[in-house]
Amino acid sequence: MTLYAVVLAGAVAAGFSAVMLFSRSLYVSAVCLLVVLLQTGAIFLLRGAPLLGLLQVMVYAGAVMVLVVITIMATGGEPEAGFRRLADFSFPRWLAVLILACVAAEIGLTLVSGGVSTASAAPADPALGAAFSAALFKSYALATEAATLLMFLAALAILPDREGA
Amino acid sequence: MSAAIWAITGVLFAAGLAMAVLRRQLLAMLLGVELMLAAVNVSLVHSAGLFSDAQAMAAVAIVIAVAAAEAVVGLSLILRALRTGRGVEAGAYTELRG
Repeated sequence: MTLYAVVLAGAVAAGFSAVMLFSRSLYVSAVCLLVVLLQTGAIFLLRGAPLLGLLQVMVYAGAVMVLVVITIMATGGEPEAGFRRLADFSFPRWLAVLILACVAAEIGLTLVSGGVSTASAAPADPALGAAFSAALFKSYALATEAATLLMFLAALAILPDREGA
Repeated sequence: MSAAIWAITGVLFAAGLAMAVLRRQLLAMLLGVELMLAAVNVSLVHSAGLFSDAQAMAAVAIVIAVAAAEAVVGLSLILRALRTGRGVEAGAYTELRG
């Protein structure tokens, strides 16, 4: 059952990455990337890495995509040669229906197979979770702190410098 | 299962690479890079579960953090580039072309 769930999530991710590639609208590309990132988070969950799946959803799908949409809003301006207005937030109805249908199919498959915690999630090695957290905060502690500091400094990059104050 | 995971990873990585190479808009190229990072994470998590390797999972957590930082810095650079008034096309920025 896990294989079917992974294949469904992978197929949805592959489909939306193709739509993302060929869509001319930046906003549609960003929303499709959001769907792909949620699917990869689901695959992490199915492969027995729930913490990474939740991290993926929170950091990627949550924080990064908000910044992407804000940047698209900031690129407003006049339509350029051949492109519609860059900050064009129109969204094809068929794509919205397709997203909802995929999510509904996945939720249905999860419910039919007895919920994420039982049949549909791969029985991960119980010690793996403990070893993972130990690795993250012991042998990888320096890298974890460095990555956290990096994210903090990167967030400061958003602050505009005061020009001609 | 491994075949399915490798197929998903390959398709997502190829789509991200194509987006980073074919699209001219700076933001679209950044989205392509994000997609490539997500594709690599999928194969790392699968291998971590396969070989019960906690280090690989820790590496995925670090990749997610660094990718978020990279996205933030990239987006702020794009916003600053926009303020120069030369638009969002990569071709408009030729200073480093020498």
